[in-house]
Amino acid sequence: MSIFLQFIVGGLFLGSMYTLIALGIVIIYKSTRVFNFAQGWMVTLGAFMLVTLVGKFGVLVGVIAGLAFGVIFGIVIERLLMRPLIGQPLIAALLLTIMLAHVIEGINILTWGSIGYDMPVKLPGQSIKLGGVVISHVLLWGIGVAVAAFAAFSFFYWRTLMGRVMRGTAEDHQVAQSLGLPVKGVFSLSWVLAGLLSVIAGLFLGVVSGVHYIMYTALLGAIAVVLLGGIDSIAGAIVGGMILGVLQSLVTGYLNPALADVIPYIVLLLILVIRPCGLFGLVRIERL
Amino acid sequence: MERPAGIFDIRYELDMAIVRTGPQWVCLIGFLILLALLPLFTGSYFLGFMILTGIALIAVLGLNILTGYAGQISLGHQAFVAVGAYTTAVLMDSFHWSFWATVPLAGIAAAAVGVLFGLPSFRLKMLYLAMTTLAAQFIIIAFFNHAFPDYFRAVSGIRVNRPELAGIDFRNNEAFYYVVIVIAVLMTFLAKNLVRCRLGRAFVALRDNDLASEVIGIHVAKYKLYAFALGCFYAGIAGSLWATYYRSVNPLHFHLDVSIWYLGCLIVGGMGTAVGPVFGVVFLRMIRELVTFISPILGELVSPINAPKIGPALGIISWALVVILFLIFEPRGLAHTWEVLKSRFRHWPFKYAI
Repeated sequence: MSIFLQFIVGGLFLGSMYTLIALGIVIIYKSTRVFNFAQGWMVTLGAFMLVTLVGKFGVLVGVIAGLAFGVIFGIVIERLLMRPLIGQPLIAALLLTIMLAHVIEGINILTWGSIGYDMPVKLPGQSIKLGGVVISHVLLWGIGVAVAAFAAFSFFYWRTLMGRVMRGTAEDHQVAQSLGLPVKGVFSLSWVLAGLLSVIAGLFLGVVSGVHYIMYTALLGAIAVVLLGGIDSIAGAIVGGMILGVLQSLVTGYLNPALADVIPYIVLLLILVIRPCGLFGLVRIERL
Repeated sequence: MERPAGIFDIRYELDMAIVRTGPQWVCLIGFLILLALLPLFTGSYFLGFMILTGIALIAVLGLNILTGYAGQISLGHQAFVAVGAYTTAVLMDSFHWSFWATVPLAGIAAAAVGVLFGLPSFRLKMLYLAMTTLAAQFIIIAFFNHAFPDYFRAVSGIRVNRPELAGIDFRNNEAFYYVVIVIAVLMTFLAKNLVRCRLGRAFVALRDNDLASEVIGIHVAKYKLYAFALGCFYAGIAGSLWATYYRSVNPLHFHLDVSIWYLGCLIVGGMGTAVGPVFGVVFLRMIRELVTFISPILGELVSPINAPKIGPALGIISWALVVILFLIFEPRGLAHTWEVLKSRFRHWPFKYAI
């Protein structure tokens, strides 16, 4: 029983990492209709930057500098790559983020090589023991940050003016523009938020498992999370993330680790066949 | 279709012909002769380049039918290439078939798997369908990696022998070059004709507007499956040649990056054009060769310690960056640039063009 609970806890942590990445994808999709394929690679880059910056400037300044890097990186991507594609078919933007992912991968290899690094950050706290289950404080931090990010973004999208503007922009760029909404500002803001989230996710993933350029392969599972929860649903990102994380952890423990690697894609295929809009996604009446 | 001044189609055969004018015939036959004579005056390295280009061309032709004409983005094309490669390898390794018999079977097997993963297209389109092909990429490769270790040999892979026919040994690159080039030319011709017939025009219709094409009587889901079958058939043939060229198949060969690279070739060349795949594949392969050539020099120049990692990193950055530039500045690809150039030439000294 305690082993089972241990797997559940591990799965919840994996799920919270999925959630942080999925939130980045959902935020960009929600406000610009662009599916950001590169989010997992951005997380890897963010983690590498943190390793370097924290190594140079110490924990506090390093993490703040890392977050600033996330903001700048988001703005740069939006200005250089996404803005020229406004008005182009959305599929061009998807292809562009796929290619962007490869450019980031190349930059990672070029700068940091193909060796692993340790994240030089110690999170405060101690692991606790709860009825035979050891819960590392890192896991609690990860889950806590994922839940906090979920709460913050839910509030932002449903209660603040800017959040409503972003939701409106997603419906139709042209209409939003003609109503006087700052469409370009919304684009920038959503990429900045995604850049920030990628650095935060990179921090926690780096603390738990170290940083390596091949990290993105595990993070591609977040795409399955996004579609499982619903591509435009913030609640879906956290619920889908937790479901997939726990499922993957249980399959690793009880069935076969090799099967666990493909679990996200099997879930992805099943959810697309059974319910393409995802668990909490907005059902659009569009049938063939 | 623009024609030089003074040339008119006065019969239906002329209107339907692929090669229309005398100079075009001269160019075509000259090009084919050049391809045939290439092994006489080039080295083995260049032939290797040509063979890999030919194999990639066949795969990208398939992707062009699926993505360029029918509009279904595939992020898992290399997985279908893997199905073809494994079909050939297993049939030759475990069942001792002749290579020549396995080539069409490799295509058919890949087409069947393609249709299987295309089935969700009954309900899905665009982004969602692209995601099912992403799932296909990982599920198929994991299947080869872990299922039936007696046949697929897991990570160690399968060794494949190059074939032999009528006393000709295809183990050297000169002979194998002809196999690849003949198949590539035939497949290019087939693809060109395929998209001009009823089937191809149905693909274009459902790409441009699926609702309208449904209304005029095209069974959208059925034609999407046809597109998957055809595109993956090409991938399977390419996979069969891939396995025999490398003399082994291994799950590590069939990575997501290669699928994306095929997509990049298509974007650079021009989606939904007959010449696009040729331009795109040759262009991106030349960039790759250039990078493998200059990266050691660059590595020595910048920092000798970092030299080993500059090669792979520049390899990825260069082609992905080229594709990004094409997406932003010339989404219609090199095929469109080529048309503009031809038009400029035709209208010279006047400025107006297409």
